[in-house]
Amino acid sequence: MEILTGNELTSGGTVYLDASGTWVESLAAARVFSNEETAERDAALAATKAGGRVISLEIEEVTLEQGVITPKRLRERIRAAGPTAPLTLKGEIYDRQHLGEDGHVSI
Amino acid sequence: MAMPKLAHTPAAQDKLRSLGILALNGMFDEMDAVGVLRYAVSDVLPGDLAIVSSFGADSAVLLHLVAQVDPSMPVYFLQTGKHFTETLDYVETLKKHLGLINVHAIHPSPDDVKRFDPTGNLWETDPDSCCHIRKTEPLEPITEQYGGWVTGRKRFQTRERGVLPHFELTSDDRIKVNPLAYFTDADVNQYKIDHGLPEHPLFGKGYKSIGCAPCTSVVAEGEDPRAGRWRGLNKKECGIHFDFNGAIASPMTAATKPTLWKDGGFIADPFHEWTEADEPATASYKHVPLPVFLANRDAFLVTQHPLGLLVVPGDNIEQVEADLGRFVSVAIKFPAFSDGRGYSTARLLSERYHYANEIRAIGDILQDQIPLMRRCGFNAFVVTHEPTREALIENRLPEVALFYQPVGTTEIPVGTRPFLRRVL
Amino acid sequence: MYRYDEFDAAFVMGRTAQFADQVKRRLSGEMTEEQFRPLRLMNGLYLQLHAYMLRIAVPYGTLSGKQMRMFAHIARTYDRGYGHFTTRQNIQFNWPRLKDIPAILEELASVEMHAIQTSGNCIRNVTADHFAGAAADEIIDPRPIAEILRQWSSLHPEFSYLPRKFKIAVTGAPNDRAAIRFHDIGLQAATNAAGDIGWEVWVGGGLGRTPMIGKLINSYVPNEHLLAYLESIMRVYNRYGRRDNKYKARIKILVHEEGLETIKGQVEAEFAEVRGGVLTLPAEEVDRITAYFAPPAFKTQPATKIDVAYQSIIDPAYGRWLDHNINSHREPGYVSVTISLKPVGGAPGDATDKQMDDIADIAERYGFDELRVTHEQNLVLPHVAISDLRAVYEALVATGFADGNTGLITDMICCPGLDFCALANARSIPLAQEISRKFAEPKRQAEIGELKIKISGCINACGHHHVGHIGILGVEKKGGELYQITLGGDATEQAAVGKIIGPGFEAEHVPGAIETLVDTYIARRESADETFIQAYRRLGEAPFKEALYGNA
Repeated sequence: MEILTGNELTSGGTVYLDASGTWVESLAAARVFSNEETAERDAALAATKAGGRVISLEIEEVTLEQGVITPKRLRERIRAAGPTAPLTLKGEIYDRQHLGEDGHVSI
Repeated sequence: MAMPKLAHTPAAQDKLRSLGILALNGMFDEMDAVGVLRYAVSDVLPGDLAIVSSFGADSAVLLHLVAQVDPSMPVYFLQTGKHFTETLDYVETLKKHLGLINVHAIHPSPDDVKRFDPTGNLWETDPDSCCHIRKTEPLEPITEQYGGWVTGRKRFQTRERGVLPHFELTSDDRIKVNPLAYFTDADVNQYKIDHGLPEHPLFGKGYKSIGCAPCTSVVAEGEDPRAGRWRGLNKKECGIHFDFNGAIASPMTAATKPTLWKDGGFIADPFHEWTEADEPATASYKHVPLPVFLANRDAFLVTQHPLGLLVVPGDNIEQVEADLGRFVSVAIKFPAFSDGRGYSTARLLSERYHYANEIRAIGDILQDQIPLMRRCGFNAFVVTHEPTREALIENRLPEVALFYQPVGTTEIPVGTRPFLRRVL
Repeated sequence: MYRYDEFDAAFVMGRTAQFADQVKRRLSGEMTEEQFRPLRLMNGLYLQLHAYMLRIAVPYGTLSGKQMRMFAHIARTYDRGYGHFTTRQNIQFNWPRLKDIPAILEELASVEMHAIQTSGNCIRNVTADHFAGAAADEIIDPRPIAEILRQWSSLHPEFSYLPRKFKIAVTGAPNDRAAIRFHDIGLQAATNAAGDIGWEVWVGGGLGRTPMIGKLINSYVPNEHLLAYLESIMRVYNRYGRRDNKYKARIKILVHEEGLETIKGQVEAEFAEVRGGVLTLPAEEVDRITAYFAPPAFKTQPATKIDVAYQSIIDPAYGRWLDHNINSHREPGYVSVTISLKPVGGAPGDATDKQMDDIADIAERYGFDELRVTHEQNLVLPHVAISDLRAVYEALVATGFADGNTGLITDMICCPGLDFCALANARSIPLAQEISRKFAEPKRQAEIGELKIKISGCINACGHHHVGHIGILGVEKKGGELYQITLGGDATEQAAVGKIIGPGFEAEHVPGAIETLVDTYIARRESADETFIQAYRRLGEAPFKEALYGNA
């Protein structure tokens, strides 16, 4: 099973393609492509590429258990959640990058 | 057509001589027209040089140069029989004004005219043939009498002329001297004003390039000055400039958009890609791959066809240092924009070997690289990428016009900081 | 410090305007990402895991209070209130938005800074000894030459598309604090028979997946020919460096594969052609640039002596700071102070906007308005009067950067790792934090003495693990993180590349493994004066290996 992910152009933030063809922040909302849906997946990739607003596009393998999408690679889990290391002194957990007002992209 | 030509006895095919002529191209300042002509008259071809003039809109400039250097130089005027009367008047005006004492009119063979153009309308149906009987044929016996010719051709005039040097060697071992090769339209006009030269009577009426009456029309503002010649016909040159066995004639048959950016415009590219089928003996206007040149060096050196050299990453330009004078153009290939070897090659060519002819960049070129390439010595670019083409045409290349390093051949006033920055 | 003249200012503004136009074209869709990517990289703008990252050059690591304040301002206004100082003496911001980049660059230009050539296959920011112009052991201040190199290399038309990135480091002292033997070109001040000062030129050093120690290609190049000589090296590299494989494209591979003698021959042949040409550097020009780096107006100081032993008793933290964070100065009455950006549990090299502002204050008040960034991800006040040390210390305590741990086990170099970096295979910051916490006890740190741990989250070795006395390299194994440990690396003039000691460890076992290595060292050292690296050189890897993996 696979999802499509990338970074939104203006904010650089991590985004996922959802079922409605919109690029959203939430991994949970990502459309999961089955192994039979490679044609749809590639069409969505091509359409996104043509739009030019989502960059660094990747196909990521995920598992889906009880409705929870989990990327197989640690790198992708970190991309979804934000950095794991606490910040100097302030002791805060880093939040992921959020999209700006101009960051909402559909295919 | 005319009588069978006498077999031409070629002058001695002296390789050194031919290479020497081409090497002259680095010798003169681009705008030093008098210097070029004086050198041609006194050192290259004393007593063996003539000029054909159309007595057109720009002819006064070249004739003024001739009058300064040698008023007795033979000047031939092609009396095609199709000229404007204003042109014929102008011949007399200039002769008097400049003190030219050796002007001859050449007429077409009456037999040819009777046979090929009995109604006088050949220009309409077959302008090439019309030019042929009225210009090329009558000129031929004259041409053979001289070792070289002075022409008024300029790079800017038509797009095929982007590579025109001061001195050329024709395929029959004659020398063409082009003192005005680097003059622009503005330079010509300024020269006319500076020297108070009489205008062609039609110039003021919008004729910028004047030939025979039927084939000349008014040129619009901003149009190519020669656009008025053979308007509407797929023809740009009249044949008498087709020196190198006619090799220069072919570009206009290509219907494609010109991709060669040079001297501020996209021009038709006289060069063609080297193919397996090409032979060293006959290749002309080809960029010969460096290894091919090395393998056939002698064969390439004995011909006088205009040749270019193709340098790809990994080639060592050092290997052809001694032969660079043979090439009117060096094409440096960028198979990927990220492969920067060509920048070093260009600097070696222009700075170390003082190669002054065309250095063109071909291949994968980003618009942001062109300013850097220019500083390294590139003066021509083959560009197909549409946004880059637009940026070039609109003169908005992304560029930092200030720089720190002494790179290039026209840098650094003596005594200043060595890595002195210069404003473009 | 160097001050921009009108030309420098116009140059940077020109470049800023150029990039602003490119960003505009990208945002409008006129330019594709494919076209934009090389352009943004040449302006220091990367796309990382979560966001863009902007890398700003701090030329040869020198900056003023005003420039530091600008970093604070950028952190506050355009980022998340902090910045990350790097091993290339640069600063990185991890969260800027593309549309803000032109404004950031414009603000930077107003304080004579930029992000030009902090990425891409070009000559990168030239780095230098962070004690330049201050260190007691210095032969000559390397910054004037570094500045001349900065100018020479800025948007060099021939060398903007090299086979790979190119890093130059300069030191004017015999004790190498700039890791010059691990740079593509390293320059070290040298004196010839006539007593003139010129440069030893080292070439072909580097870290990454194939670490190499630089080789001496010329033992003396005078100032006047230095640019010509370097241009000769660059041309040989540009023409002959490998381009078929990006992992073999650095000059170190060329030197390694062709052999130093071959490369030297090519460089000398090229040098023979360009020597004495337009790149000849007149002494007046060197003098003109050197004048910018004139020492500050030092005052004759009363013979202040600090009794460190006494201070250590009444205020142990201050005593430790005096012990470890002070470097001797060539001017009597003055010292250089290292501001450790390695508080226990912190992210190495990170500083908040407030901390940067406070440090700028301290520099202005006590440090002749000068600061340095070190390649070990700390900051330096190069010129501090001994009589002001206590005041400086107290001001630093207020910033949270008063740890007296410079050169000790918690003073780690650490790359951003998989928490931020698109290239990383494993995290490194959390590991550094764990190790730091494990060895937090100051007495323990002092007992261990000088020990450099360097952590990289991937083979590209931004965390310099190859030259750590203990190096840690994060790799990916079966979807998880695994850490290899190397021993014996050294970035100084006694340059050495560390050796992998055995199978890797999972993250939670790394701090324990480090402790085992440290305990082994302490048990086996001849005295407290024998440092970890000295003991390792004497003992070899065997006892350490045995301690870690048993006698199998």
